[in-house]
Amino acid sequence: MADTVQEFVFNLTFPFTRTLGSTLSTFSSALAQGQIIGVRTGGRVIAPPLEYDPDTAADSGTDWVRVGPKGTVSTWTWVPEPTNLHPLDHAFGFAFITLDGADTPMLHLVDTGSESAMAAGMRVEAKLKAPADRVGRIDDIIAFVPAADPSPSEGAGEPFVAPEENDITEMDAYCDLQYVDNASPTTIMWAKALMEGRIIGQKCPQCDRTIVGPRGMCSVCAIELDESHIVEVPGRGVVSNFTIVTPTPYPGQTETEPFARCSILLDGADAVIAQQEILDVPVSEIRVGIHVEVVWAPENERSAADIDNRSRGSGGDIIVGWRTTGEPDEPAARYLDRMM
Amino acid sequence: MAPTENDIAIVGFAQLPPERRTNLTESDLVLRSTREVIAQVGIDKSEIGFTVSGSCDYLSGQGFSFVQNTDAYGMVPAINESHVEMDGAFAMYEAYVRLLQGDIDIAMAVGVGKNSNSDPSTLFTVEFDPYYLTPLGTDTWTLAALQARALIDSGKATERDFAEVVARNRANAKSNPFAQVKGDYSVDELLAADYVRNPLRRHDLPPTTDQAAAVILARGKRAYDLCERPAWITGIDHRIEAHLPTVRKDITTSVSTRLAAEAAGVGKGPIDVAEIHAPFSFQELILRESLGLDASTEVNPSGGALAAHSVMTVGLIRVGEAANQIIKNGKNRTLAHTTSGPCLQQNLVCVMEGDQ
Ligand SMILES: [Zn+2]
Repeated sequence: MADTVQEFVFNLTFPFTRTLGSTLSTFSSALAQGQIIGVRTGGRVIAPPLEYDPDTAADSGTDWVRVGPKGTVSTWTWVPEPTNLHPLDHAFGFAFITLDGADTPMLHLVDTGSESAMAAGMRVEAKLKAPADRVGRIDDIIAFVPAADPSPSEGAGEPFVAPEENDITEMDAYCDLQYVDNASPTTIMWAKALMEGRIIGQKCPQCDRTIVGPRGMCSVCAIELDESHIVEVPGRGVVSNFTIVTPTPYPGQTETEPFARCSILLDGADAVIAQQEILDVPVSEIRVGIHVEVVWAPENERSAADIDNRSRGSGGDIIVGWRTTGEPDEPAARYLDRMM
Repeated sequence: MAPTENDIAIVGFAQLPPERRTNLTESDLVLRSTREVIAQVGIDKSEIGFTVSGSCDYLSGQGFSFVQNTDAYGMVPAINESHVEMDGAFAMYEAYVRLLQGDIDIAMAVGVGKNSNSDPSTLFTVEFDPYYLTPLGTDTWTLAALQARALIDSGKATERDFAEVVARNRANAKSNPFAQVKGDYSVDELLAADYVRNPLRRHDLPPTTDQAAAVILARGKRAYDLCERPAWITGIDHRIEAHLPTVRKDITTSVSTRLAAEAAGVGKGPIDVAEIHAPFSFQELILRESLGLDASTEVNPSGGALAAHSVMTVGLIRVGEAANQIIKNGKNRTLAHTTSGPCLQQNLVCVMEGDQ
């Protein structure tokens, strides 16, 4: 059925702010000023610094050391086709670079323009962003480039005196991942039926429970259910549970006023469908036991685009919501002990 | 050996065929693999005292996917259940420890990974050190390539050695009905391919696989009710190194693997077969050395992780394959290995023995 989406793209994107703690705050604040530092702990200088000595788990302390800006490549690789997550949009190298004054390497980019220019032992130097663009994050160093003068870095290995208070104590991060899921046979069955204005479930031959929306299995008996187990259920039922969501502002949140999401037990079903919206009852009057019936979108406005494997029982853009029938509320005993 | 009540064995193993892209959900995969292993050992699901799975929300892109996956267990009445955001091999370790408490006899461990929903070149960036690695877009392939280059520069191996690992595993995989990548390849043919991350070529990288697997463990004499020749776990250990490969002393060896192998008693006798989880070809060379294996051990007759690599399942399959060498193939002492994290950060070693 052409109207049933078989594959859906899901972008997982969100900003994130991390607190840095004292060690990383010191590193970040120094980096924003153009100074790369390490920490001397357990007889070696670790750069970039860690809060703990990885050998002993002891506190690394505050014996800060100036390192770089030049260093030596110990191992390297080459990225011929950068992804959207890489900081450079042209081919570049990644390398372990032991900065002058440090004993452990730092992983960073090496921008040589050509793979053949990469070699262990090569001398490189940090190329930093302009002072106004620095935020104290590791990518304030745009990349390392071949050092014009391979001689040792001036001042490397000398103590670094940290300020009383660090300027930078937080770091912004961003998650940007894309997923492409494909509709499972069960999801396709559900979406096709909805497009035709039918609500279906699957009836388990072992326990006789009817599961709506179908999940391809009986989650009591742990057996597979398929097309042969499909039963049609009426678009009428009872609100068996609900929650009122008070929206807090976060990226992507479009709701501003409190709204209700209800579980509905359809007549003849043994599993509720969750996250449903009641159209004609104010949030303050939502209660369990209300009789409701389905409100379909007009046939020419139905789309299964939002019905994916993650939203089991969702009506997508096909079910607009549910309206009350006006019947007296159902006693609780009739809809307790149902499956989620 | 005569088992004591504290001895625990793998008594059943089922894996689904690996697929580059399944149209099933993770829950569907869990159901099919667990039903199969339960049927194989001939018990009712109510006899399982503990169930534990390994999976990762970030792979399929579904929050709390492991909760939905529990539908496949049939949790009415409620069962004793757990989950690790790790490979199913680590779930198996939890099941083993749970059985040691002595109050239950049977446990089931599951691994499931629908890896095809996400892009392996970017996905794992979010799991690395968020301060020093993630902002640079550091990816798994890059970290592996840096380790591979270090191995070459140390003189321990060459790119040809890497290709030989690939050719051997793909040839071994021909006799494994559960292999996704298999066939006869010449080393010269492999070496002619372009680099994805110098010195690694596409064939040095793991395939992308959707798969699930499950094992059943049993304690003491109960094991014989479920399996004629149980694979007794005689040693198991899991060691972890620093997350940042840059602070490890030498990434051309695996200290955590060596320590885990010693604690699991690998050297106490000959190992007939080892199933090693080396996601990248060259890591098999590092792991063989760190496990202390010699030429008498047959390594990865299944084709290993290069034949199918469903992250969250591949390690448990190593356990199952090594167990089956005892259960079905008459071997006496086998080893399963699983790794996790950048540049072989974490390593689990499990030694199994059959009754002689
Ligand atoms: Zn049932």
